[in-house]
Amino acid sequence: MSASAEVVVACLAPADQRPEVDPLSGEVVVNDAMASLSAADAAALEYALRAGEAWGARVMAVAAGGASVVPALREAASLGAEVLRVPLPSAHDSLHGPRRCEGTELAGDPGVVTAVLSSAIRASGTPALVVCGDRSSLSGAGAVPAMLAHHLGAAQALGLVAMEFESGGVVLGQRRLDGGWRERIRLTAPAVCSVEAAGVRLRRASLNAALAAASVQVPIASSSATAAAAAAGAAGAARVHAGAPRFYRPRTKVIPPPAGGTHERILSLTGALVQREPPRVVGPVAPAEAARELLEFLRRAGVEVGQAGDAGG
Amino acid sequence: MVDAVVVGAGPAGSAAALALARAGRSVILLERGPFPGSKNLYGGVVYARVLDGVIPRWWEEVPVQRWVVRRSTMVLTETQSLSVDMRTSSWGDAPYNGMTVYRADFDQWLAGHAVAAGANLVTSTVATGLIWDGSGRVVGVKTDRPDGNIRAQVVIACDGVNSFLAKEAGLLPQADAAHHTLGVKEVLSLPAETIDERFGLGPDEGLDIEMVGVTRGIPGGGFLYTNRDTVSLGVVVSLKGLADAKVRPEELIADLKAHPTIAPWLRGATLKEYGAHLIPEGGYDTMPPLTADGLMVAGDAAGMTLAAGIWLEGVNFAIGAGLAAGKAATDAIAAGDTTTAGLAGYRRALESNFVLKDHQRLRRAPGLVLSQRMQGPYPKLMCDVAERMFTVTNPEPKPGLVLLLRRAAKEQGVRWRDLVRDGIETIRVFR
Repeated sequence: MSASAEVVVACLAPADQRPEVDPLSGEVVVNDAMASLSAADAAALEYALRAGEAWGARVMAVAAGGASVVPALREAASLGAEVLRVPLPSAHDSLHGPRRCEGTELAGDPGVVTAVLSSAIRASGTPALVVCGDRSSLSGAGAVPAMLAHHLGAAQALGLVAMEFESGGVVLGQRRLDGGWRERIRLTAPAVCSVEAAGVRLRRASLNAALAAASVQVPIASSSATAAAAAAGAAGAARVHAGAPRFYRPRTKVIPPPAGGTHERILSLTGALVQREPPRVVGPVAPAEAARELLEFLRRAGVEVGQAGDAGG
Repeated sequence: MVDAVVVGAGPAGSAAALALARAGRSVILLERGPFPGSKNLYGGVVYARVLDGVIPRWWEEVPVQRWVVRRSTMVLTETQSLSVDMRTSSWGDAPYNGMTVYRADFDQWLAGHAVAAGANLVTSTVATGLIWDGSGRVVGVKTDRPDGNIRAQVVIACDGVNSFLAKEAGLLPQADAAHHTLGVKEVLSLPAETIDERFGLGPDEGLDIEMVGVTRGIPGGGFLYTNRDTVSLGVVVSLKGLADAKVRPEELIADLKAHPTIAPWLRGATLKEYGAHLIPEGGYDTMPPLTADGLMVAGDAAGMTLAAGIWLEGVNFAIGAGLAAGKAATDAIAAGDTTTAGLAGYRRALESNFVLKDHQRLRRAPGLVLSQRMQGPYPKLMCDVAERMFTVTNPEPKPGLVLLLRRAAKEQGVRWRDLVRDGIETIRVFR
């Protein structure tokens, strides 16, 4: 298939990545103002961008929630993605400080999240591929990607550790198996994949793009459009082809060592010896005097040595 | 090309960006963390009077933990403690004297004002170096983003205690451990009601205790601040003294927590955070030059922490310096002269307000406070005198204060003339 006219969607779940747990009461305290992408979400966005490049497709970053998801969407915008915020019925619409949460409240109801996301995605175009992080960082169960696949009538591959994209809307994925083995998965669009935060790092936006994104107005999915799309229901289920399983162990990845020796790298990192005591030539002097000089030097350098008189022998 | 780039969205950087943006100048505020304040450890005291003319009624919106209504200076030995305790209800009313805050909240709040005024905040971006023109003038900064060079008429380095930009410009020496201390802190959870009861505070009232004599003779001191439902407890010690004593900083905090005066306050508390940070405590005499061609330095990067024994302040000095830097940069840009001479208004502004006036007046305080006698025998001497003064010795008649002082001085090996000399010096330093 040609995915050129399609859209690749990154489903993001920005959240406070360092929620506090009250050590006395066990209550969880989250701060919406500090919401950012989890490592898995960042991986999902990176793979979506790669898919968009490989297929010449539009890339759209979608997040469900209140104003707290806007900074993460702006980050996606700085990387060239279209962005869309999908309001949640229960989400707070403004940023505020820390708040105490019940555990079930943290990640939201996956059914509700999936319904609004799938409706908004449908209203924005036909997705060739939807990539999600493998779970929300706030006690998420990882159910949303599977439910999205169901809602969108797409094939699903969850918990991938690597993705490659071939022409014709083909996705090659890898998933972990026990004992260091890998499972290779091949599926065709439309598909929903979730990825672990493994082996990929989100690209950096250029400075100009980062500056421009700061003022990007993030559109909000209209409730009427999402409701209409929801009413239309899911399209026919995609055909999922399952081949005969074969064991596969990936080659060891050789990472080139850093340049320079350990000593040079430590010196470079610490700046040690940049300011040092300049060399001093003493002598020629008698052996006893030379020994005293050496001992004095060692003492100044913090080395524990005995009295000068102890040096003999 | 922008008018100014400010590196570091701490109090100094945000204040500088705020001043520039309000003057209508284009300014980029760079922050290496994912948000301003993200890498700070601090739950400490901020004196925010300096904001009165900048953010009207700031106290109605600032993310405060508690308003400080009680301030103690405490001298400790292993078994004794002597406190000078000041409490006033006037500090608990607007416009307030001091407050305990979490820096992650406070920095974000102040940077938000800079952004609202028009500054462009770019987070997760490290300034990796300065850009120079052919004549040796700073004309921008390099960043770690692709195509990340920013050219600006003025660079304001507010990049913290270990300012790489100030070092690259030759304003700061590469290493000056002698003028830095290490602050080590634990944040301990306690229910807010327990804090209120144990420290004698109302619901929003806070306590700030500064201590001396708790660091095993290593030059430095301790602190305890009450936040809403946590207590910040820690020590600030000389780097060299710590290395020479071969003591781990966590051992000093353990001593402090086990002290008979402190331990009851912390009963049942649970560790929430532990961390450490360098503090520039050299004072006025170790401040670097504040400007170079196209470059200004403010906040911790310029060593503007005031560590003068009874005054331990920094954020207010950083904000004051940042505001002055922003104003001076605005004037220099308007005049078309951002050379060292053109930026000289910055230092003049600091000399005419509290930032350099206080630092200059108290320039000898760090040396006095961290001196061997102040840190060694004096805490024991003071506690012994107080203990004997309040010990009833019937049927012996009560001894006089001078006699008690002489006895304690003799026991601690302090010569009378040193005691008098240090007393006179203390009066001179804090006059």
